[in-house]
Amino acid sequence: MQQPESVRPLITERHHPTGDTHERRPRETEEGNPFTFSPQLIHLHKDHELFEDGDITRHMYLQDLYISEADDKPTLSVSEFACHISGCSAVFSTLEEYEHHYNSLHRHVCCSCRRSLPSARLLDIHIQEWHDSLFAILAQRQDMYQCLVEGCGQKFRTSKLRKDHLIRLHKYPPDFRFDKTKKDRGTRETKRQQQKDTAMEVADDVCESEGVCEVMCDVLSNQLEHGESMETHVSQEEARMAKSDSTEEHADLSAAAHGAGNTSTESTKPRYSYRVPTSVCFGHGSVRGFRGRRGRRK
Amino acid sequence: MWRLNKVRHKAAGRHGDSLEELKLKRREHERALRQARRDRQLVSKRLLLNEDEDQPEVTMDTNSGEQDVVSLFHKLQQTGSEREARLKALSKALRDPSAQLAFIKQENSMHLLVGFLTGSDATCRLQAVRCLHELSHSPHTNVAPACLPATPYLLTYLSGQSTKFTELCLYTLGNLCPESDVVKEKLLAQGIIPALANCIENQRHNLAVVEAVGFTLSQLLQAKDAAEKIIPMVLASSLPSHLLSVLTPDPDFGLAPAIECAWCLHYLTCSTEDNRVLLAHGALLKCSSLLVSLGAAVAEGNKEEGMELLICPLLRCVGNLLSSCPVEDLSTQVGDVHIVVALCALLQAYLQTQPALARESAWVLNNLTAYSSALCSALLTFNLVPGLIQLLPFSQGINTMILRALANIAHKKKEFCVQLAHLGLLSALCATLKMADQEMVTLSMDVLFMLVVSGPQVAEEFVRQSGLSLLEAIQYNSKGDIRRRATHLLEHHLLSYSVDTPCS
Repeated sequence: MQQPESVRPLITERHHPTGDTHERRPRETEEGNPFTFSPQLIHLHKDHELFEDGDITRHMYLQDLYISEADDKPTLSVSEFACHISGCSAVFSTLEEYEHHYNSLHRHVCCSCRRSLPSARLLDIHIQEWHDSLFAILAQRQDMYQCLVEGCGQKFRTSKLRKDHLIRLHKYPPDFRFDKTKKDRGTRETKRQQQKDTAMEVADDVCESEGVCEVMCDVLSNQLEHGESMETHVSQEEARMAKSDSTEEHADLSAAAHGAGNTSTESTKPRYSYRVPTSVCFGHGSVRGFRGRRGRRK
Repeated sequence: MWRLNKVRHKAAGRHGDSLEELKLKRREHERALRQARRDRQLVSKRLLLNEDEDQPEVTMDTNSGEQDVVSLFHKLQQTGSEREARLKALSKALRDPSAQLAFIKQENSMHLLVGFLTGSDATCRLQAVRCLHELSHSPHTNVAPACLPATPYLLTYLSGQSTKFTELCLYTLGNLCPESDVVKEKLLAQGIIPALANCIENQRHNLAVVEAVGFTLSQLLQAKDAAEKIIPMVLASSLPSHLLSVLTPDPDFGLAPAIECAWCLHYLTCSTEDNRVLLAHGALLKCSSLLVSLGAAVAEGNKEEGMELLICPLLRCVGNLLSSCPVEDLSTQVGDVHIVVALCALLQAYLQTQPALARESAWVLNNLTAYSSALCSALLTFNLVPGLIQLLPFSQGINTMILRALANIAHKKKEFCVQLAHLGLLSALCATLKMADQEMVTLSMDVLFMLVVSGPQVAEEFVRQSGLSLLEAIQYNSKGDIRRRATHLLEHHLLSYSVDTPCS
């Protein structure tokens, strides 16, 4: 109903020349300052839609139809919230719903394979077991598969052993969604370049992004151009397309992930995400949770 | 004159309608008015009732009404002693639209009426003008123009002294004004504006007449091309100062004259961006001090019936006059900084019942704060900011306007930013940044920027409120300009707060 006020044919915005009479914050002089706000006087013409309701009341009064207590309560509406992650168009009526959505589906997403994990720890384990070639090497000689239960601390030589442990000791169901092996994933996985044998996987219906991966890729690679993104080197397109990633590349990734040092060319940008490993992006919307999608953001 | 309590009676139980039917009728009417406004055809006429009437009764069956009118007309053409009675009967009969049509179809009918209008019998004059008034109110488009021969006389009589008669002349003219361009041009040529100016000047003490002048003028000023032809003439006359002097409502008579004059002023201020003439008359000072007292009354809970009919045009006048007011003159033109208190009171009072009025108040607040440090400071001093922050959830233009006003405050000084952050704007922004409305998100980013760069304590607080992860998420926003803002903040202003921890 109401459109944004910013650009309208009927509003005339007057900019006052900057004067010295008021103490004015000096404009940032650094280049590329993207912030555009400046105070504006807004003149509204007679026919502006902001005046509609008041005009109607006036004319109801002229035609003797005015009553001071309105028949129906006029609708006072509250702003909706919307997930702004590129490609996700979920809309919510409360902040809590938004936060729940975001925390469930966007916070712990693996950039390499787009899987969404329910917690940071499970994400860390996933990345380690699926995308870290160093892990694969080490796993041949020592127990590397951590128990998924926080605080247990036990480690196992294979994922099968871990699974048995989870079922027997921790009474987990045999088909626990976050501990599937690679073989369980089905044919969709052939597209992906997984060469790890480890398995931590969210249920299959999660994460197929209906083309959003590409969107995210573009977003990220555009950002990469300007060196702004959190991925300091490998673009997602490369990651996706490379069938047999050189272990070198992955070593780079994991090296970066482990904070072992910057081996990439563009690594001059500091990393400022403390919570999430650098190789993780916030990803895209997943299918699960969108079944009952509320509505598209306009 | 219109008394609002009279209107109330009308609304309740006209012709035995049930409450539901009444509601339905009102809603239909409202819908029709909205559509008319969208077509730029929003026009209303007023009917001045007889003393003995409480509601406009149109009870007679149309056929007999038409016949009555024709037979009355014929009888009136003959000389006789019952002219007054017949004219009175005619005026009653002319309430009916089809009777109106029938009347003007009669040859020389208008000539007859004009004859009575200008004759030596005062009672006949009154009844004749009553007939004309009924005709002017006709919904049929060819009836009112038929009244044109009478207008020079109606205008002449405006300088007379008979209250009821003058009122009828005025409302008749007011109903005729919006009819067509031809009618308007004739009236302008015949000197309606000086006539109105004289009338309000001479009858200043007579509030019923003043109200009627206000109505008639407002009808003229609403014309589509009013800005070119009509408004310059009005501004050049003595009307502006009279309109302003009527604005303060008379406690005995009620709000009605002030309402009409306020709407005239609104049409004057909104049709042009150059309001120097009105500013020179002290319009901004007058309107804003009135708003201060009205706002105070509203805040105390003294909401007189129909107050919003006056508050609305006053808000608009202040809003639009502000946009023409040079910055240097603000303090003299606005005068009392308590205007911000009044606006916030109006915002809170009308938020639920009349959100449109709340939105207009927010707009005025934006214009007040845009270039005035003093008014921004007043908002902080009077502790009005927390209340404004609480309004940020409300959409349909309310939150964007309020956020603009808060942004105006932040834009003035770093000290203001620190205060705003301290009062809760930072955490509010963490919510508004997640809204669906893109304008809110962009504005929120701009305000956040101003707050964060104002000082290390604000930046620290933002980080403490999980601001970093919020901005990181915003870097994945689908809109490029929002992504850039987030990145800019993170890279240039929040760098020292980022912690680089190795992942496990």
